[in-house]
Amino acid sequence: MSSSASPPRSAQAQAPDVAAPARLAAAIESVAAADPDRVAVVTAAGLGADRRRAVSYGTLASDVAAIERRLAEAHPIGVIARSGEIAALVAIVAACGRQRVPLALVAEDSRDLVGELRDWSVCGDDLAVPSSPAQGRSRREYDSSSPQVVVATSGTSGPPKLVEHSWDSLLAAARLAEQWHGRGWILVYDATRWAGTQVWLQAILTGGRLIVPASRDPDCVARAAADEDVSILPATPTLLRRVIASADSDAVGRMRLDRITLGGEAADGQLLEQARALFPTARVTHVYATTELGEVFRVSDGLPGFPAEWLGRALPGGAKLSTRRDGELLVQLSRDTAEVATGDLVERRGERYEFSGRRSDTIFVGGAKVFPRRVEDVLRAVPGVADARAYGLPSAITGEIVAAQIVAVDPLPEGVTPENLRAAALAACRSALEAHSVPRVLDFTRKLFTNPSGKVPRRPVSR
Amino acid sequence: MTSIDGATRDIAAEVREAILAVYRDTARPPRETPGSALLGSDLGLDSLDLAQIIVLLERSLGVDPFRDARGSAPRPPIRTFDHLVALYVATLAARP
Repeated sequence: MSSSASPPRSAQAQAPDVAAPARLAAAIESVAAADPDRVAVVTAAGLGADRRRAVSYGTLASDVAAIERRLAEAHPIGVIARSGEIAALVAIVAACGRQRVPLALVAEDSRDLVGELRDWSVCGDDLAVPSSPAQGRSRREYDSSSPQVVVATSGTSGPPKLVEHSWDSLLAAARLAEQWHGRGWILVYDATRWAGTQVWLQAILTGGRLIVPASRDPDCVARAAADEDVSILPATPTLLRRVIASADSDAVGRMRLDRITLGGEAADGQLLEQARALFPTARVTHVYATTELGEVFRVSDGLPGFPAEWLGRALPGGAKLSTRRDGELLVQLSRDTAEVATGDLVERRGERYEFSGRRSDTIFVGGAKVFPRRVEDVLRAVPGVADARAYGLPSAITGEIVAAQIVAVDPLPEGVTPENLRAAALAACRSALEAHSVPRVLDFTRKLFTNPSGKVPRRPVSR
Repeated sequence: MTSIDGATRDIAAEVREAILAVYRDTARPPRETPGSALLGSDLGLDSLDLAQIIVLLERSLGVDPFRDARGSAPRPPIRTFDHLVALYVATLAARP
């Protein structure tokens, strides 16, 4: 494992004259020139030294150059990057960027959307670039109206869809200051989704090590982070909660995190406190971003939600926040752009606005609204409950009723049985929530189902 | 007849068990459930309680008469414990 204490900065990549699309390839080349053996990507991490696979910046730079040559020969009208190998994916993206070839990152479960990109070439693990399927439609020159990067949304609140981005917006959130260089980043997101691209772009642009655990199992994630000297953990609150509650305590004890960056879901106060207690030297940041908008803001004060005074003011990045009457958060990225309804509901609590859930997750019980997040927060605060999910079950009588699943800590605290844990959970809900918000169905589960984005869906998977 | 009576007895036991589960989950003392007991005034069950009972019975008996009967002929009002049992007996008997 290479973890140079003072990695050479990529002067070329940082220079303002390197256009955004070429910046990733330039960064790889620059590190490879100075330190070709430096590890860029480690996959299958967390299963032991004999299973891990490492790819150096030197290899990555050769792959980028090879793909660029193939792009020049094939002249595809666009490339769909489809690779299970993260290093191959990085090389494809870097090459397409520098060659100004429109690029699509399409996750495995969004393959149906590829029909919209017919005639684009698919580039996979073998790094071959086939000619565009439609003869005669190969590109000559890309005009400025061509999409630069197409990413599929996670489909948290509806079917996944393709969203176009520019290279500028893809790289907008990357932090390039010296302090970010040469760090170990763990990738627990799908590398083809927005959140995943942000992690690996950040890692590679700054000459860092991208560590990809063999699975999202909490033990594997904790061991990968500990064994590979990861200092930055970007994750969903669900994954962090799992690592804290159930990962191998020896591995968790060996983790040396400087930064925990939470995103994809709202982080509750309890989780933020637990993270602070377990990783006292780590700065915990909550990022609010969507595939459509990119990063909107980040909060690092250790409290849930965001300061109430932010509403109606221009934030440092230029975005302006407001709310609809029903509490839905609206974002205007700049004066020239339209206000976008985010589908996220916020509630004012004291000097903060806290996230109460997705509009589409709201449960309607006899006409009254129930926010699943509030139910989950109450359940998670019960001693013996590691995690919880609340959702609506259809009912012919009341429209929906509240149902919930809880994951018990393992082992249960002394004297606690599943029966009295369940009773305690319901009692906590009765004392903290209105009657219609108390779960009417409460089941134990060993693990909450998560979608490919690592988020817990709040609609029933099936009835 | 014996088998139908037996089935009715089993279904009545399931309905009773579901009602007791609702009392338990809502921290209310259990009540006797004679067949003529009115679901509302005698057993103290409100619409949320009934919605929970229907979910519990769907898990144990495999049917939801309220959902499965959507669009079919209107059924008589369900006011007593026996009405509820009869509804499940009829729904299960009509199941292909």
